[in-house]
Amino acid sequence: MNVKFLNPFVGSAYDILSLEMKETIQRGDLRLDNGAYKTDDVTVIISLVGAVDGSVFYSMSKEVAVGLASILMGEKFEALDRLAQSGIAELGNVITGQASMKLAEAGYESNISTPSLIIGKGATISTLEFPRLIVPLFTSLGSLTIHLALREGLQSNLKTSQIKIPKVEF
Amino acid sequence: MDVKLLNPFIQAAVEVLKAEVSAEVTRGDISMQKSSLTSDDITVLINLVGDVYGVVMYGLHKTTCLHLVSKIMGQEFTELNSLAQSGMAELGNVISGQATIRFSETGYTSNISTPTVLTGKGVEISTLDFPRIVVPLTTQYGVLTVHLALRVKKPGEPHTPDEFISLITAPPLKKGS
Repeated sequence: MNVKFLNPFVGSAYDILSLEMKETIQRGDLRLDNGAYKTDDVTVIISLVGAVDGSVFYSMSKEVAVGLASILMGEKFEALDRLAQSGIAELGNVITGQASMKLAEAGYESNISTPSLIIGKGATISTLEFPRLIVPLFTSLGSLTIHLALREGLQSNLKTSQIKIPKVEF
Repeated sequence: MDVKLLNPFIQAAVEVLKAEVSAEVTRGDISMQKSSLTSDDITVLINLVGDVYGVVMYGLHKTTCLHLVSKIMGQEFTELNSLAQSGMAELGNVISGQATIRFSETGYTSNISTPTVLTGKGVEISTLDFPRIVVPLTTQYGVLTVHLALRVKKPGEPHTPDEFISLITAPPLKKGS
């Protein structure tokens, strides 16, 4: 994966979390993983489509998710209910949105998808041939890990309808 | 969710399954679900971005997946290894790609994301406030369940990251930095 795609994400996550939590968050060591990802309690999945292609995951434990949702939404959550889930998805959205704006400024225009939330530990998520760059961020609530499986888009300016798909025989 | 978004996917799935694995597809009852989806053995997740946006998921049982992939790739698979997963992801990719071509014929332009493959039964996948239309497609290899959580972008509504920022106070972007 191209490392220049990393900083916009780490920068946006850092800015947004620091601002929301009113504390300085710490970044852990980067690592590259070729294998599949075993899910933590909560994972937000967002895809990028365009000049940068691929997926971004934000994973965290349930405690961190509930704590973060409480801070973001300004009300105390006891469990990861629907509203808390949507708060966490929104956080993923905002970080990815800011990162995609930074990427656009650097000449990589991409659209981001709506977020999907995976709840449940131990499932395996594969990004197939995309290796993942993993960045843990540490807050006072616990850690939030960013997984980036991105590459330069192959058909950056092509619409799906222009991509050749094998002819279907009837 | 708008039901007119459904047919392009079903038609695409039926045609692709027929062409790739000569499957005879029977459509089961369509249902609308608002709760999260509990994953089957393997789920292929593909996002749509553009005039039609949201997420499409293809869920299937391990044995169904192995049958399908063995047939597509012309070699026998006995476990869901990375090659089998990538074969299944490709099938989801082709079906979704075909469906978006049908959308573009009706004036909706959308792009599809790279597929993400989730293996492991019993985790919850939430599409948040998007209700899902669930269509089981039965073939001689087993059942492939298509989950659609899609929306049509309203005219003039930008699908840009800006629209998400209002909820949380994000720091302003430094222009030109």
